[in-house]
Amino acid sequence: MGSLIQLDHLTRRYGRRRGVERVSLSVPEGALFGFLGPNGAGKTTTIRVMLGFLRPTSGEARIFGLDCWRDSKAIKRDIGYLPGDLRLPAWMDGTNALSIFGAVRGRDLAGAGRELAEKFDLDLRVKVRDMSRGMRQKLGLILALAHSPRLLVLDEPTSALDPLMQQTLHELLRQRAAAGHTVFFSSHSLGEVEQLCDRVAIVRAGEIVADESLAVLRDRAGHDVTIRWKDDAPALAIEPPEFLKLTRCERAVWQGTLEGPVRRLVDFLAGKSVEDLSIGRPDLESLFRRFYEHERKDRQ
Amino acid sequence: MNRGLLIRAFRESWPTTLLLGLVLMGVEAALAFVLPKFGAQMSEQWLQMDFARGIIQAMLGTEIGDRLGPQMFQSIAWVHPVALALTWAHALVCCTRVPAGEVDRGTADVLLGLPVSRWEVFISETVVWLLCGAAILTAALVGNLLGAQGVPPEHRPQLSRLFIVLANLFCLYATVGGLAWLVSALSDRRGRAMTIIFLVLLSLFLLNYLAQFWHPLERIAFLSPLHYHRPVTVLGTGAWPWKDMGVLLASGGVMWLAGGAVFSRRDLCTV
Repeated sequence: MGSLIQLDHLTRRYGRRRGVERVSLSVPEGALFGFLGPNGAGKTTTIRVMLGFLRPTSGEARIFGLDCWRDSKAIKRDIGYLPGDLRLPAWMDGTNALSIFGAVRGRDLAGAGRELAEKFDLDLRVKVRDMSRGMRQKLGLILALAHSPRLLVLDEPTSALDPLMQQTLHELLRQRAAAGHTVFFSSHSLGEVEQLCDRVAIVRAGEIVADESLAVLRDRAGHDVTIRWKDDAPALAIEPPEFLKLTRCERAVWQGTLEGPVRRLVDFLAGKSVEDLSIGRPDLESLFRRFYEHERKDRQ
Repeated sequence: MNRGLLIRAFRESWPTTLLLGLVLMGVEAALAFVLPKFGAQMSEQWLQMDFARGIIQAMLGTEIGDRLGPQMFQSIAWVHPVALALTWAHALVCCTRVPAGEVDRGTADVLLGLPVSRWEVFISETVVWLLCGAAILTAALVGNLLGAQGVPPEHRPQLSRLFIVLANLFCLYATVGGLAWLVSALSDRRGRAMTIIFLVLLSLFLLNYLAQFWHPLERIAFLSPLHYHRPVTVLGTGAWPWKDMGVLLASGGVMWLAGGAVFSRRDLCTV
C-alpha cells in the first residue's frame, strides 16, 4: 500500500519561533493514524502545511503524491478537514452550511449531511450563533465527512464532544477506515488514540520522536514492573540490574520499567525471596509521559 | 469563480449593502431636494466672497469660474462628504472581508480548507463586491432622482449626464476598493486594516480639499482619487471623463492585482 501522506524533513518556522523541525512521516492509505502531542508541540502547524495554509520553510509535504502548497486545491477535493478551533459564520445553520459547502464542492451534500446529523443527533435548523460548542463541533464533523473524502484530517475532533458522541465518531471513523479511507487524527488525548488508531506519531517540541505502530511502540517502551520482596533485608542488599530502571525503590517494593525481554527479569529474580511480582504493558498515557520526561528535565 | 463562494459572499454582504444603500438613497434624496433651493436663495454676491467660493471649490475639487448655476448645486450631491463616506464605508466593509475579516473572526481555516484556489476566493469576493457596489450606487441614483422631483424641472439634472457621473463615481469606488483589498491582503486584523484605509482615505480627501486653499499642495493633488471625480464638469458639459475614469480604474486595478498576488502567496490561517 502506498503512502497517502508523505512529509520529508518538513520544517516550518514563524520567524525565530519554532513551528516544526525536520518532520518526516509517512501515512499509508487506509490507516487510522494518530498524531499525538501536547499543546504547542507543532500538530496544528503540520496540518496547516499539509492543507496549504502555510508554506514550508524547508522540506516537502505531499498528499496523494501532490505538493501540498502548489497543488493545494486539487488535494483538498479529496480531503475532509476539521480545524482544531472550529469557527463558522454565525448566520449559518446546518442546512445552508451543507448547501454552500456542496455548491463549493459541486456536489449535493444534503442527503449525506442529514444521515450524519441523525447519527450525531444534531438539529440542522439551529443557527451557529445559537449552538453550543459541542453542537458546532458536530456540524464541523458533518461538513468534513459529508462528501466521503479519501482522507480525513481531524484536529482534536473530540475536544467538545460528550463520551457518547466520541464513541459514535470512533465507530464512524473505523467504518471509513475499513472502507479504505484514511484518517489523520490529531489529539492530545492518548486514551482515544489508543482505542482508535493503529499507527501513531508522537511530536515533541516540533520534532517527531516516534512514528510506528502502537504494538511496536509499546514493545519499545518496555514493561511496567512492580516487585514486592518478602522481607526488606534482602532487598536492601540487592543491586538493581541495568535493564530495570527503578522509579520507586522502597524497603520492600521496587517499581520501574523493564527494558528488554521479560526472561531476563525472571532469571534475575530466580532464587530470590519475592512475595509478589507484577509485569504489565504500559498504557499509552505512561508511554507518552516517558517521551516527554526528557523535555521536562531539559526545561528544569 | 465558484458558485458556493459567490453564495456565501452574497449572504454576508447583502445586509450591509441594503442598510448603506437605503441610507445613501435618503441622503441623496435630501441633497437633491435641498441643494438647488439653497442655491436659488444664495446671492451671487455671497458666492463672490473668497471664503465661500473656496469651500464650494474645495468640495467640488475644481474652479467654479462662471459655472454658478443649478448644475453646480446638483453636483454637490455627488461629492458631498456624507455621500462619499457612505460609498467608501461600503467598499471598506466589503473589501476587508477576505482575508483580514476571515482571519480575524477565525473562519479562515474553514474557508481555506475547501477545494478552491485563493484566486477563486479573491475573484468570487470581488464579483460580489462589485455587484453590491453597483446596487448601492443605483440606490444613490434613485434617491437623487426622487429628491429632484421636488425642485423645478429646469433645476433637475439630465438623466444621461447623471449616468456619466455615476460611472465616474463607480470608478472612484473601485479605486477605494482596490486599496482596501491590498491592505486587507497584507493584514490579519480587520480593525487594523480598516483604520489604515480610513486614515489613507482621509488624507487623500484632505489633500484634494486643501489643495484649493494652499497652492503648494496643488502639485501633488493628482495623488488624490477625488482629483479624478468632478461631477460639476460632467453635469455642465455632458462629456465622458474617460481619462479620469481610466486613471481611477487603472490605479484600483493595480492595487487589486497586488492584493490578489499577496493573498495567493502569503501564509494564512486563523491566529
